[in-house]
Amino acid sequence: MAPARYLLWMVLTGLSLAQVSSEFVTADIRRAGSRLACLCGSCKNSVGDCAMLGCHYSLPARQKIASLQAQGATDDAIIDSFVREKGKVALVVPPVEGFFGLAWWMPVVVMGLGLALVYWFIQRMSKPAPVAPVEQRVLDRYKESIEKDLASLEE
Amino acid sequence: MIVVVAVALVVVVLWFTLGVRAKDLPEPEPVSPIKHLEDKKARIYESLRDLNFEFRVGKLSDTDYQRTKTELQKELAGVLADIDKAAPAPAPASNTKQDPLVCPHCKARFDKPMKFCGQCGKAMETRS
Amino acid sequence: MENIGALSLFLALCLSVYAILGSLTGKWRGNNFLIVSAERAVLAVWGLLTFASGMLVYALLTDDFRYAYVASHSSKTMPSIYKFAAWWGGQEGSLLLWTWILSSYSAVVVWQNRRKYRAMMPYVTAIISVTQAFFLILITVPLTPFEVLAVGKEITTVPDGRGLNPLLQYWSMAIHPPTLYLGYVGFVVPFAFAMASLITRAPGDSWIHTTRRWTLVTWMFQSAGILLGAGWAYAVLGWGGYWGWDPVENASLLPWITATAFLHSVMMQEKKGMMKVWNMVLVAATYLLCIFGTFLTRSGVVSSVHAFAQSPIGAYFVTFIVIELAAVTYLILDRLEFLKSESQLESVVSRESSFLFNNLILLASCFSILWGTLFPVISEAVTGEKISVDAPFFNRVNVPIGLFLLFLTGVGPLIAWRRSSIESLKKAFLWPLAGMAVSMGILFALGIRHIFALMSFGLCVFVTWTILSEFYKGAAAISSKSGQNLVAAMVELTHRNTRRYGGYIVHVAIVIMFIGFTGAAFNKDATVEVKEGGKFHLGGYDMTLTKINSGQNDHYRYVSADIAVHVNGSQVATLRPEQRRYTTGDGSSEVAIRRRLNEDLYLNFAGMANEDKAVIQAYVFPLVSWIWIGFAALLGGTIICLIPSKIRYSFPKTQVLGQVVKEGQPVGPR
Repeated sequence: MAPARYLLWMVLTGLSLAQVSSEFVTADIRRAGSRLACLCGSCKNSVGDCAMLGCHYSLPARQKIASLQAQGATDDAIIDSFVREKGKVALVVPPVEGFFGLAWWMPVVVMGLGLALVYWFIQRMSKPAPVAPVEQRVLDRYKESIEKDLASLEE
Repeated sequence: MIVVVAVALVVVVLWFTLGVRAKDLPEPEPVSPIKHLEDKKARIYESLRDLNFEFRVGKLSDTDYQRTKTELQKELAGVLADIDKAAPAPAPASNTKQDPLVCPHCKARFDKPMKFCGQCGKAMETRS
Repeated sequence: MENIGALSLFLALCLSVYAILGSLTGKWRGNNFLIVSAERAVLAVWGLLTFASGMLVYALLTDDFRYAYVASHSSKTMPSIYKFAAWWGGQEGSLLLWTWILSSYSAVVVWQNRRKYRAMMPYVTAIISVTQAFFLILITVPLTPFEVLAVGKEITTVPDGRGLNPLLQYWSMAIHPPTLYLGYVGFVVPFAFAMASLITRAPGDSWIHTTRRWTLVTWMFQSAGILLGAGWAYAVLGWGGYWGWDPVENASLLPWITATAFLHSVMMQEKKGMMKVWNMVLVAATYLLCIFGTFLTRSGVVSSVHAFAQSPIGAYFVTFIVIELAAVTYLILDRLEFLKSESQLESVVSRESSFLFNNLILLASCFSILWGTLFPVISEAVTGEKISVDAPFFNRVNVPIGLFLLFLTGVGPLIAWRRSSIESLKKAFLWPLAGMAVSMGILFALGIRHIFALMSFGLCVFVTWTILSEFYKGAAAISSKSGQNLVAAMVELTHRNTRRYGGYIVHVAIVIMFIGFTGAAFNKDATVEVKEGGKFHLGGYDMTLTKINSGQNDHYRYVSADIAVHVNGSQVATLRPEQRRYTTGDGSSEVAIRRRLNEDLYLNFAGMANEDKAVIQAYVFPLVSWIWIGFAALLGGTIICLIPSKIRYSFPKTQVLGQVVKEGQPVGPR
């Protein structure tokens, strides 16, 4: 092997070693991983679908999932172990409990408030116009010219 | 060198900004004080035309069409009345009918058409 | 000479402040000289910023590494086009671009309206200049792009710069930031006009006519900016994602959503003089969200790939946003009477109501995205515990919202203004709904079980049907009258009311994009280790790695793989994904994509497993090309909206103040 190529190979292996050791994402790893956040700081994916090259978080995390699964741990147990280690930040979405539940409730609440606002608006706007309606007499006076103008617009 | 460029830059900018002469004042475009009414009128005409088109392609039922059309015409008439009120000066040449807002007897003006003049009490309407 | 750039920025700041004070004083004192002088100050600011930007670009192009900015964002070996793009490659330069675009917009506004809106313009000038001054403070005080490298008092230089991140050296990345800024910044103008009309209590809605085009053009740039970013992420990042719900991506989406809501609800104001308060709120919200988005991107409050390095400008932004928010709230509340509705709602079943729901849904989606983006920060502040709100949250909340919005896109055109009786609705909805049901049935029979995907495809059929029938019915009516053929009649129809039919084309574009988004439900991927001659398989593709190449040039070393792609035994393509290592130390991967309308085959060279085994990530992304097709349609539709309608009406006008307007007829084809 030519030295240049060898050097290159060294560099690239260094780059991709971590990648390779956990490249096989089985369906089981993906299922458990989809509930865990990738905390690499530059993506918003879960451990299950983070596909960034040499990701320094999701790859070791997948290995850990794999080893726990090899020991027969359930998904919940795996998630728990991650939460114990990193805190709730390890979860891909906030848990529905206590203050964190607000993350889920607020959009629903706001939607409800919005609906109430729309209802109120429709109610208020359905009342008869506050300005006095134009009398038939005024209409009669202009009707002829309106019809004429409109006819000319219709080409 | 740098001082010269800096001073030149400052002078040019200040001269441009502050040197407003009387002939530099732009003459504002004449704006009609009833422009918003004219705009509104144009908009209602547009809505009416649109309504006719939608009716023609069958998007409206007959009753919907008639009701909406009457409403729009009424609104339009209201706007036309407002415009006439704001600018009554040149009565349309073809229109020999007198201004219904002005009493033919004492020339008092009113905001809306009246049957009897609030000033002299005589009948204002010549025909209905 | 190094200080001239900084001097012109400082002068520009002084002039902006002068423009604010001058136009307000001129207005209050009735001094026209002062008002015109303030307007000239706005033009001068543009001149100064153009000069400063020119200096920065010149320094970048001539490798003047005495400037800290040039040294850290450019390098000698970069192609000139990317040296130019380094203008917006870093925090300071991109703020300069932001400010320069704003000054260009304000110069155009001042010039266009030099004889119009004289009562309103001083306020418009002042409001735009406030924003201008704020950003000029940023690039004059904490983040000047003209900082020079110095040892003691001696200006020094470095032999070569660090260069732009190679990931950013991609064509769509070069134009993505300016396009997005053109969008972001442009919303300042409608905001200024809206607030000025509120301050002066100008009768009528003349500000709407002036700013409608601005809003639309700005909206188009914003859409283009967002989608260019998506296209870049797809083609460059190596995992095929085009939208990651990153805080900065979200920040660009928020004002886009409120602007979309405004473009719809403004029709209510134009047609019926309703929802005036709401429109003011939307214009203000759009503007403030733009400033807020800039803040998110630049302050490092939320962690994001896009975020520039942490910098001390967060406090400036928070102060600015809070003050503006307070001012806007006060103005709107103080002038509620002026914003009173002119007419009422005739019926609940009407186009008006459909706009209400459209706005509700858009705003709900806007809120949920904002909430999700900020929740980690809020939660940490309240509970002290960090938390992640990632893509699954946004997808779960926004997919149903998006589908409902898609539904409304189809419903809107079917309901008439003011009122629609149930019978005409039945008539209008019957066939599109039937089409939707049938297509969903067919897809179900073909084995698609993904519930959201089924609904999405069904709704796409529904919406397309309603819009096409709008075109067809209209064209048929015209052709029956004029005898034109159907295609000519459709062109005629569109030309007669470009806003409406252009808008329908934008709706179709959204449908096309939804088809592309829905494809993501059926993505497939595989990661394999293969030697030369090795085979692997994904979806309908059989792939053989024929050769591993390697080498280097001045800029980078590379390893690539030649992969022969076979479908049903016959070779359809040879793809060459590549992995690069730049001399600057950055790595990047050049993915190989076989783009087809039904699906993309996407190969990424992930690295070498050992001396002779390559690691290849292979993906199949169904329908993803439709997103880019939809993007093109969206641009086309928006441009059609911007073309003036063929028929201009001039109505019998009344003679006022000696201004004679002739009694008119339709002016006809121009």
